[in-house]
Amino acid sequence: MTDSAANPRKEIDRKLLEILVCPLTKGPLRYDAAQQELISDSAGLAFPIRDGIPIMLPDEARRLDD
Amino acid sequence: MTSTANQQALVASQFGPRAEAYVTSAVHAQGEDLNRIAGWAAARRPARALDLGCGGGHVAFALSPHADEVVAYDLSPDMLAAVKATAKTKGLANIVTRQGAVESLPFEDASFDMVASRYSAHHWRGFDAALTEARRVLKPGGVAVFADITAPADKLCDTWLQSVELLRDPSHQRDYSQDEWRAALERAGFKPGSPYRHRLRLEFSSWLARMATPPVQAEAIRALFAQAPVEVRAYLALEADNSFSIDSMVMEACPA
Repeated sequence: MTDSAANPRKEIDRKLLEILVCPLTKGPLRYDAAQQELISDSAGLAFPIRDGIPIMLPDEARRLDD
Repeated sequence: MTSTANQQALVASQFGPRAEAYVTSAVHAQGEDLNRIAGWAAARRPARALDLGCGGGHVAFALSPHADEVVAYDLSPDMLAAVKATAKTKGLANIVTRQGAVESLPFEDASFDMVASRYSAHHWRGFDAALTEARRVLKPGGVAVFADITAPADKLCDTWLQSVELLRDPSHQRDYSQDEWRAALERAGFKPGSPYRHRLRLEFSSWLARMATPPVQAEAIRALFAQAPVEVRAYLALEADNSFSIDSMVMEACPA
């Protein structure tokens, strides 16, 4: 089932991504569904999502200029 | 063996393998402080609540029936995996997990109606930074609730408490006194309320087993307890089997 309204869990995840920001700059994040990453352009970091859990630790993030 | 881990890595490595023990621990799964946190949530019905340093997830589970959404936030991926699995088993579909440090929260300003944290602050590398972040993500009309072991004002007993805590868990940073809590909350922009204080009895063998304390450190704690002066024995209510009791506090704080 892909309809988010029919899946309360997915709906909650979508709403919570709205309040998620970069832990360093507090700037917005872009969600890359294919790479399963949350990208902070302001910090130049891509935060991984593993097993559905966003890992918001700069040490675990991929540098965008790599 | 020399460690090169920083405090954050040490906390995560101490707790990661112990995740299941903290989910099932009676000390953590129950308590009057947990009932009070649930009571505050029931009265306020927060749309969005945050469990800061959720560990085994007991605050998140207690908030879940009273909130629309609960974010369980922790440094340890293993703890979060355990929380996610337990929430699923319990049928608590409104809990989501996010991994990160308390000192730099990945949430927008004023995004939570309630922020709660229990038995976590004594591990925080940046106590002030974490409280400032908690204040930042809390809505102006929101409420924060902090529960933790508190250090006694008496410096002798304080030194013994922190020493025993460190021997049991090298990722221990500090149990703060009630006055230290109050001052730190005020510095962070909170108006702290009156604390609810209670004694917490720790059964010695299960207290060590939960953290998988190495035998040499367990032996050091036993050796210390055997030499404890009467003031410390009285404060700890030290028992024949080395079980003991310490002070715990839950304090409500509103934006100042």
